[in-house]
Amino acid sequence: MAQPYPYTYYSCDCYDAKTTAGAAKRASAQLQAEDEDERTFDPRNPRSNFSLYPLEHLLYCEDCQQIRCPRCVIEEVLNWFCPSCLFEVPSSLVKSDGNRCTRNCYNCPICTSPMTVSSLDDPTNPSESGGPWILACPYCHWSTAETGIEFEKHTGITQQLSKVANGGKPIPTPKEREKERERRKELENRKSRDILSGSEDSPTQDQRRGDASPNLDDIYLNLAAFYKTQLVAQAPSNLFSPHDINFSSPSSYSRIMNLYSSTTSKKQRQKKAAPMREAALELEGLMIHDPSSDAAAIERIKKEGWGSTLSPAQKRAQPNPNIRFDTELRPVASLLMTKRGKRCRSCRHILSKPESKITSTRYKIKLLALQHIPRLSLRALTPTPPPGAPAATPFDYNALRSGIPAHFILHVSNPIFDPIRVTLATSSTTPGKVASRVTILCPQFEVGANTDVWDDALSSSLTPVKRASMLGPDGMPQIEAGKIWDRGRNWTSVVIEVVPGFLKDPLKKEDEELGEDEDVLEIPVFVRLEFESDVSAEDRGLGDSLGKKGERERREEAFWTVIGVGKIAPM
Amino acid sequence: MSAQPAPRPSAERRASNLQKRVSVLPKPTSIILDPSVLIAQHAQLTGTHPITIGPNTVLHPHTKISSVQAPVVIGEGVVVYEKAKIGVGIGADTESESRRSSIAPAAGSRDSMRGDGTVLGPNVVVESKAIVEAAEIGEGSVIEIDVVVGKGCVIGKFCTISACCVLPPNTTVPDFTVVYSGSQRRIDRTIQSRPELQQAKMLMHAKQIEIFKKLIPNNVAKWT
Repeated sequence: MAQPYPYTYYSCDCYDAKTTAGAAKRASAQLQAEDEDERTFDPRNPRSNFSLYPLEHLLYCEDCQQIRCPRCVIEEVLNWFCPSCLFEVPSSLVKSDGNRCTRNCYNCPICTSPMTVSSLDDPTNPSESGGPWILACPYCHWSTAETGIEFEKHTGITQQLSKVANGGKPIPTPKEREKERERRKELENRKSRDILSGSEDSPTQDQRRGDASPNLDDIYLNLAAFYKTQLVAQAPSNLFSPHDINFSSPSSYSRIMNLYSSTTSKKQRQKKAAPMREAALELEGLMIHDPSSDAAAIERIKKEGWGSTLSPAQKRAQPNPNIRFDTELRPVASLLMTKRGKRCRSCRHILSKPESKITSTRYKIKLLALQHIPRLSLRALTPTPPPGAPAATPFDYNALRSGIPAHFILHVSNPIFDPIRVTLATSSTTPGKVASRVTILCPQFEVGANTDVWDDALSSSLTPVKRASMLGPDGMPQIEAGKIWDRGRNWTSVVIEVVPGFLKDPLKKEDEELGEDEDVLEIPVFVRLEFESDVSAEDRGLGDSLGKKGERERREEAFWTVIGVGKIAPM
Repeated sequence: MSAQPAPRPSAERRASNLQKRVSVLPKPTSIILDPSVLIAQHAQLTGTHPITIGPNTVLHPHTKISSVQAPVVIGEGVVVYEKAKIGVGIGADTESESRRSSIAPAAGSRDSMRGDGTVLGPNVVVESKAIVEAAEIGEGSVIEIDVVVGKGCVIGKFCTISACCVLPPNTTVPDFTVVYSGSQRRIDRTIQSRPELQQAKMLMHAKQIEIFKKLIPNNVAKWT
């Protein structure tokens, strides 16, 4: 979050340590908690880095009356949709079909841009169905025609794609594969029997060898089927133990029924179950590495050149990442995106909920910290030049000068509808290697309520402090301790004096290397708000009637902020 | 236009002393136009070397063709979009530093010994803000928006130079190549292996030229 200076970060105190304190550690945890409160917030601490956020990143839970940062919210998925076709996919389909679009949205495997379905039709002699269709990339001009895939119709690309391999060869459906597998199993059994009987090789063996090596889908399905048979064949160790009995498996069910069936059934010999084993044959899903495929790949690279191979990023995006050449590329289906809502981690109150319509960016519920927490912002106080003089150079936040006091205006604006009393606290020197002295000239002040403009104009409000009258004899504005600088309808500004520290101690002889970002001047400020607000409906007691509307409740909020002022320039 | 009956200064001197009063419009005999060419208003043809424009070409408004340093030959059916610049030496004022990220590594020696000059083949499309100083561009190629093609480049036919790419001087781009993402290249095998796709593309191109002829008012009389 590299923001230009000056910036303000708010600290969310959602420590995990506080919630996981065990009984034995309670004493130490309490001590630690107290320590935390007393110690000043150190923005240089690596742990504090994770709790600092700009105000725009924070949400606010009204029930807990606390800031919620992105770490202490729970996200839940509202709906899934495809970013190219903007079609909503129900979550049940996402669970079964996967998290990619199953319609016509594909990304180019070479350059990842979305592909269009184009027709190879001859414009002078158009055919009936619109000619064969291909997926073409409008950016790098890759198309499925390069891998030999053409479609008959322009919808249902996913189905058509799953049936065609590169080069136009058809891929069998799972049912056909099942049949193929059964058939091969029969051949295996027959072959082993043949060997035992010493007969010649059957012609079916040659047929098997003639098939091309199984592709990844085949191997996966074979392996899955093999594991299923292994699980089913596993007999339970104790028939009556509730863990082992799998009532959905037909074999164990039939075994139990056999026990309770007719007493005249012959006792079946308890077969010792064979331990589960891994796949041993190609039919069971074993991938046997063929060194000739490596030699073939090398020959191919020699012939076609380096340009025909794939980059690691292209391989990772593919469904089969073990391919090597561009003729094996398949179009990549678009990943689905989600719309998410956020909830408070402790009370599960909904903090943000977008509209369920996919194309709208609005939110139904939006509880922002911006609407509940005052915004602190810093600005350098530059003396206004007298009229006629040339304009002063703009303040350079990247080059603060060590040892020279600089004044800044801290502007506090109040978003809530009640006036608040703000107390600011900071240690006199900033923590860290470079110690700068900080003084807040007016630590306690009031900020007006965020009322409508008309309300304010009608009622007699506080007279605005006139800055012009405060100019001293030399034209520099007079800064008085204990007085605010300026005030408006819902904001107040006060002056902070900062003396940036020295980057290198001139007394020390050793040359200490300054770490990264140690020359950034950051001021931790503890902000405490006190205000009175209407009692919320849930806090009212059961016996209260509705007549007590005017009851006001005192509320207090406190948090740490870190104000980044700028970089101290080396001398 | 300054009419000087006295012996004119040499062509090089005229081109280099560009004062406001001195016109750099080429002499009428050094522009050879086909009658079917469409030149829109505010197009500029400058320079003293001959400029040849083939039939059915469309020059959109604010295009600049400069033959100040070398002759320019534009084939038939070429479409040049707004603010494109064609001609050797025309891109001299572009900041090449800002394009550092998209510049391809420069070719070592000169890939082709060609005489100076720019030749655009038939049916080439040069899109907006492109700067073409190339020696030759093959037929059917598309130079997309904001591309800089350096001096002496040779681009094959049916190539596509994608938007914002920069081709350093003297690079050769073979036929059917797509230059994308700054400096990456690949051969577009789809169009290479199917001549019917090439024909379909040329058909669409011809249709587009017809529509331009209907929409853009023709200012070719200024140059004939």
